[in-house]
Amino acid sequence: MKKIAIYIILASATVTIALSGCNKLNENPTSVIVTTQFFKTASDATSAVNAIYGTLNSDPAGDFPLYGRQLNLLVENASDNQVYSPSNTNPDVRALGTATYISSNSRVQKVWQQIYYGINRANIAIDNIPNISIDTALRARLIRESKFIRGLLYFNLVRLWGDVPLVLHNPESLDLSKLFVKRTAAEDVYTQIISDLTDATNLPKSFTGTDLGRATGGAAHTLLAKVYLTRKDYSKALTELNTVINGGYGYALFTNYKDVFQKATKNGVEHIFSVQFETNLGELNSAQNLSQSFTSFNTGTFPIDIPADSSVSKLFAKTDTRRAVTFYDSVYNAATGKYVVFKNAYTPYFNKFVDYSLSPLTIQSQSAVNYPVLRYADVLLMYAEVVNELSGPTGDAYVAINKVRTRANVANLTTGLTQQAFRDSVFLERRKELMQEGHRWFDLVRQGGTTLVDALHKIPQKTGVDTKYNLFPIPQVEVLLNNQLTQNPGY
Amino acid sequence: MEIYIHEKSIPFKFLFVLFLSVVTLSASAQTEPPPTINSHLEGKVIDSLTKQPIAGAIIKILGTTHAVAAAQNGSFSFITGQKFPYTLIISFIGYRTKEVVANGSPITIQLAESVSQLNDVVVVGYGTQKKSDITGSIASVPKNILNQPAAGFDNLLQGSVSGVAVTQNSGQPGSTATIRIRGGNSISFGNSPLYVIDGFIVYNNNDNANIGSIGTSVNALSTINPSDIESIEVLKDASATAIYGSHGANGVVIITTKRGKKGTNNVSFNTYYGTQRVAKKLDLLNAGQWASLVNDINTSDGVAKTFTNAQITALGSGSDWQSSALRSAPVLNDELSVSGGDEKSRYLISGNYFNQKGTILNTGFKRYSARANYERNVSEKFKISTNIFGSQSIENKLAGSSYNSINFSNAFASLILTSPVAPIKNADGSYNISNPYNASTTNPLQDITATTNTTTLTRILGNVAGEYKLLNDLTLKVTAGIDLLNASQQYYAPSFTGSPAGSSTGYAASGYASIGSGHTLSWLNENTLNYDHAFNKTHFLTVLAGYTTQYTKDDAVVASAQKFPNDLTSFDNLSYAGVSNLPTSSAHNSALNSYLARVNYSYQHKYNLTVSGRADGSSKLGANNKWGYFPSAGLSWNTNREDFFKPLSNTISNLKLRLSAGQTGNSEVPPYSSLAALSPTNYYFGSKLVTGISPVQIANPNLKWETTTQYDGGLDIGLFNDRVNLVFDAYYKKTSDLLLYVPLPLYTGYASALENVGSVSNKGIELALNTDNIKGETFSWKTNIVFALNRNKVLNLGQGIQSYFPVAATGQLSPVIVKVGLPVGTFWGYNTNGLLTADDLAKGVPTLAGVPQKVGDTKYVDTNHDGVITTADKHSLGSAQPKFTGSITNTFTYGRFDLSVFFQGSYGSKNFNLLQQTLERPTLSNNASATLLNRWTPDNTTGTVARATNSPVPQVTDRYIENGSYLKLKNASLGYSFSGGALSKIHAKNLRVYLSAQNLVTITKYKGLDPEVSFYDNDNTKQGIDYGTYPSVRTFLAGLAVTF
Repeated sequence: MKKIAIYIILASATVTIALSGCNKLNENPTSVIVTTQFFKTASDATSAVNAIYGTLNSDPAGDFPLYGRQLNLLVENASDNQVYSPSNTNPDVRALGTATYISSNSRVQKVWQQIYYGINRANIAIDNIPNISIDTALRARLIRESKFIRGLLYFNLVRLWGDVPLVLHNPESLDLSKLFVKRTAAEDVYTQIISDLTDATNLPKSFTGTDLGRATGGAAHTLLAKVYLTRKDYSKALTELNTVINGGYGYALFTNYKDVFQKATKNGVEHIFSVQFETNLGELNSAQNLSQSFTSFNTGTFPIDIPADSSVSKLFAKTDTRRAVTFYDSVYNAATGKYVVFKNAYTPYFNKFVDYSLSPLTIQSQSAVNYPVLRYADVLLMYAEVVNELSGPTGDAYVAINKVRTRANVANLTTGLTQQAFRDSVFLERRKELMQEGHRWFDLVRQGGTTLVDALHKIPQKTGVDTKYNLFPIPQVEVLLNNQLTQNPGY
Repeated sequence: MEIYIHEKSIPFKFLFVLFLSVVTLSASAQTEPPPTINSHLEGKVIDSLTKQPIAGAIIKILGTTHAVAAAQNGSFSFITGQKFPYTLIISFIGYRTKEVVANGSPITIQLAESVSQLNDVVVVGYGTQKKSDITGSIASVPKNILNQPAAGFDNLLQGSVSGVAVTQNSGQPGSTATIRIRGGNSISFGNSPLYVIDGFIVYNNNDNANIGSIGTSVNALSTINPSDIESIEVLKDASATAIYGSHGANGVVIITTKRGKKGTNNVSFNTYYGTQRVAKKLDLLNAGQWASLVNDINTSDGVAKTFTNAQITALGSGSDWQSSALRSAPVLNDELSVSGGDEKSRYLISGNYFNQKGTILNTGFKRYSARANYERNVSEKFKISTNIFGSQSIENKLAGSSYNSINFSNAFASLILTSPVAPIKNADGSYNISNPYNASTTNPLQDITATTNTTTLTRILGNVAGEYKLLNDLTLKVTAGIDLLNASQQYYAPSFTGSPAGSSTGYAASGYASIGSGHTLSWLNENTLNYDHAFNKTHFLTVLAGYTTQYTKDDAVVASAQKFPNDLTSFDNLSYAGVSNLPTSSAHNSALNSYLARVNYSYQHKYNLTVSGRADGSSKLGANNKWGYFPSAGLSWNTNREDFFKPLSNTISNLKLRLSAGQTGNSEVPPYSSLAALSPTNYYFGSKLVTGISPVQIANPNLKWETTTQYDGGLDIGLFNDRVNLVFDAYYKKTSDLLLYVPLPLYTGYASALENVGSVSNKGIELALNTDNIKGETFSWKTNIVFALNRNKVLNLGQGIQSYFPVAATGQLSPVIVKVGLPVGTFWGYNTNGLLTADDLAKGVPTLAGVPQKVGDTKYVDTNHDGVITTADKHSLGSAQPKFTGSITNTFTYGRFDLSVFFQGSYGSKNFNLLQQTLERPTLSNNASATLLNRWTPDNTTGTVARATNSPVPQVTDRYIENGSYLKLKNASLGYSFSGGALSKIHAKNLRVYLSAQNLVTITKYKGLDPEVSFYDNDNTKQGIDYGTYPSVRTFLAGLAVTF
């Protein structure tokens, strides 16, 4: 009896375990969203577009965000505005500061990667959102926002590297032979940029509340103007600028230049498109590293980036209110009630992105100061430049540049300048107005010829450059991996 | 505690002995006629080595049927008609049968453990096998090493088995070790062996133990009490490991815990207590020397000197930050076990308390564990057994501020790098937080003492098994078990602790609390049928077939918050915080279904064949490649059993040739690796957080396991009646279809994709030599020598890829490279050739591109002769993988004394001394190495260290790729076992006291704290990087082991 009972128990146990225990091998994750589950709802579509914006202010690996120092390492640090500080030990950052960078430069590679990272997310949104059945107005808006950022990122790419691979879809498989492509002529890249931005001009004129900060129609017109200006297509640039100025968008200059770079006045009347930063909302991987121009009241330590040399701060007239916003010589220490003065060979230090609303002030990694990509002062200066190029330094051109100068408490520009002298004045004004805002290298290079080289030769540490530096090298890893990619001349 | 057991045990023992004698008496009364008494023999049977009594040993008088069993204390007596002298035959399972001539009473008989290869069985995958019939390469950890005091069982593996390389990653109590069997096969995933604990498969994933954890990893295996372990077998070749299929490629460590022995009831109490001290400190600058360095930096910057000569003199030696956090720390271990058994049941219960304080303040490791093992023969045919184990281990980890761009918290390095000019404490005894040479207001010593960083691991591992003999030769075994690992992490940096800019701990956040909790559950069901039959005593056949299924599920949650109004609640109530960070949680599950089979065939125990295979279906792999098949075959030939060998048998007692080949796998990728996963990101609109969702990887439905093909040839030799035993193996392994993150063109929007490309080879030889040098009744001397040599090489990294640099956050370009033709994780940097002289510069020797170099700067070697020093001049500077490793253990017994001396060494490895590089890089804020005293200055042009400049760019050079070879006296212990008289007074069967010293001597050229180091834990590509890990210790301890 007992024996039979054991047989029965054992047999049934084995069968039960074998049946229930046969685990299924297909994966149905609950903690990870898989592509096949996604792109079903309006919320999915919005999240996919939010993720594109996210590539502007964060890096998935925790590196500097594109608009939180990475791009600046190329367009400010490699220009005549800026150089590395003694505390900066990364040889690649130093190479950019001294304009001795080569194709294996990790910062050059990172900017390339971050831009394409954003482009890929935009491509995914543009390809997938049309298939979701949602409100058509929302659908159109989200696609246009995606196109605005894709346009912005390709515009950065084509200016930094010239011909670049024009990728417009998410890769479908890992088949490398399909992933390897050639560089597309800059002309064709511009065609795509103009097409994307033109569609994006249909975006709403403004957003409010919890949508504040999204790309608007005005931002698309402004960026389009900048694209045409870079291509010296001045009449089209003028049309776009006229739309921005007179199209009912309501843009104006802040009364105080300081308000361009304050947490309290972010997304204000002068801001056309800004990359958004916030403090301590619990997010990951977003840090406004440019704010680390101030890190300590200890005068023995240095911020990460410093002006190229003393000539940079000397550009500003004594009365120019922009100097005290662009640089600091002393900082108030609330703990001691005293100002700490910074005076050494590298001072004054950069100031625009230091968030004075933080407490303690020394923790600047979480600055809530936005990065102004497009703002109205830039529009006015572009307008002055375009008018000067089309019809010489007319009254209109003077009015535009003088608006910017007046706000900075600087006297009106000398009247009766030649076209060339006016052009030079506009570029000098741009340098002062937009310092550390990611314009300088682009402004030098788009003037063509040896403008960049001549400017850099004035900085003692950058005397070794030649015209090959009008383009950055294609990242070495890209060329090694895909031999269809050619390198830029000289690298 | 002792007394309590003692009192309890007397009546128990008394009753037991009484019971035994009654049985013996009644048995003899029934079966024999009234005897003629001619002699009365009293005797005792003990183990020749341990001097422990052997209860249950059978003593028989030659030529009679008269036999008795030894009692609990090993004693026996004969009242017999035989006259002295007569011959006794003494036998017991596991011991060599001995014949002794009894000349009178009393007599003490020593039995030696059986080393006969013929009858020994060895634990193999899913069963046991006769040692003579084994075809694979299997090694056991020697008994004398298992008995050594150790915090975790990974310590026991070090140097004890050939081909197993163990590196203690850090001196932090409870931290991880890197364990590699025959080298690392994989580049990206899982090189650790598979652990099988009492039949339960445990793939040690420390990730599950490090939920939201900060600092060095916690070792999930540290939950296991090493004293519970009866034996450790290491399966090395494919013939042995293929039965574990897609888990077997990295070797298998089979751990069997202790269980009761038939006919005994033992109460054992073991305790030891010791003190630990830091084995080594670094030579640093004192305050005056550091001030001079600052002045030199000022000079190179062209600014005024910071310190006057009078100030420098007044500074004197200043603060010794390094020593300020160090202490002499105790280590304590107590354990109690009760075990025993009878004809039908065997049991063991044990409890353990282990407490190791760290030599750095506010660190330590504690473990509480309990175990119950039980077996019962329900009937002749039906046997059940269970092993249940539970433990809690609590690790207080070193925490404090992080430093520089190193992502890991490295509080000890922060301490070392603090300027000696800054006082540690103020005059009133409070911590000095005003260090004028540091960017933030912080005191690294205060950070270490005030920051809480605790990981608590709770593990329950239990299984039940039933075995039923369906036929005489056919057994069905069904087991089911679970492994439950709960990890809880608690971190709090009070508002007054600090860290340099960029970090979000401590004062930066005005109080930062983090709490993490993770649960991992794994259940396993195994069903095997075993057929074991001998045909005509010439053909021996064993067939195993089975089906197993394992399911693993883990989930974790981490929450953190900052800006606390005070430090009262810390991590125990995050809602007091002003700012909460976005919490994270995760969950994964995976399944593995397997069919396995093995056939062992032996012809007269001369010719042996093992064929085994396993089919594994893993949920983690791509949809097109869920199933993998892993076959193996092994042959062995016991040459000494051939007739032609007979004449040599006096000299060569054993000679066996082994040959095996087979395939095993590795599928240790995280779940969902093959799917097109989307991950969340954040952005802000209207100053509010919004969530974005975007892809992070491209789907790879073809993702499959890595395959390791291994060939092994081996030779087992026993000489002079097995007094000399030699095991030799040579192997070649090739791992292909590596699970590798293959770089994609960055313009795709992805940096890499997980694919199966590339291959790595490992080849090597292993040698284990055990000798009984002297084998006497009072004096014996045994030697174990272990030697292993492995060469690792990257053969292929996929189409068009020759090398890549793994990301290593060392504040500089990656010091390691993975390159075809070189070992995985080769150091990559410049050669240097002293310092630049004026003469050099005049001659125009190549200098670093983009950096103006002056007299007294490092002179780099232009290896590619292009006239300038660029990254193209970097080349291989060696790897962290040793050329060979070895150990030698000598064990002596003299009377009741025993002495064991264990040396272990490693030769030919390199370490990247990142801490030394940091300490030799002059800055205006950090302390520096004493080597800078010999820096080049205009007054000291013969200096060997580069001139002082302000924060020069660190370069990976041959100066910091140091020789990591070492020889360590890992353990020396001296014991004394008490004799009968003393034992009987306390009613003990056995009492041994011992003194032991661990890590007593280290011979090395390495300049860092310990040549055994790995800052990046188990990371395959970044072994041997030393960024000032927790210092290793020297331990002296005294212990006592008593059995009642």
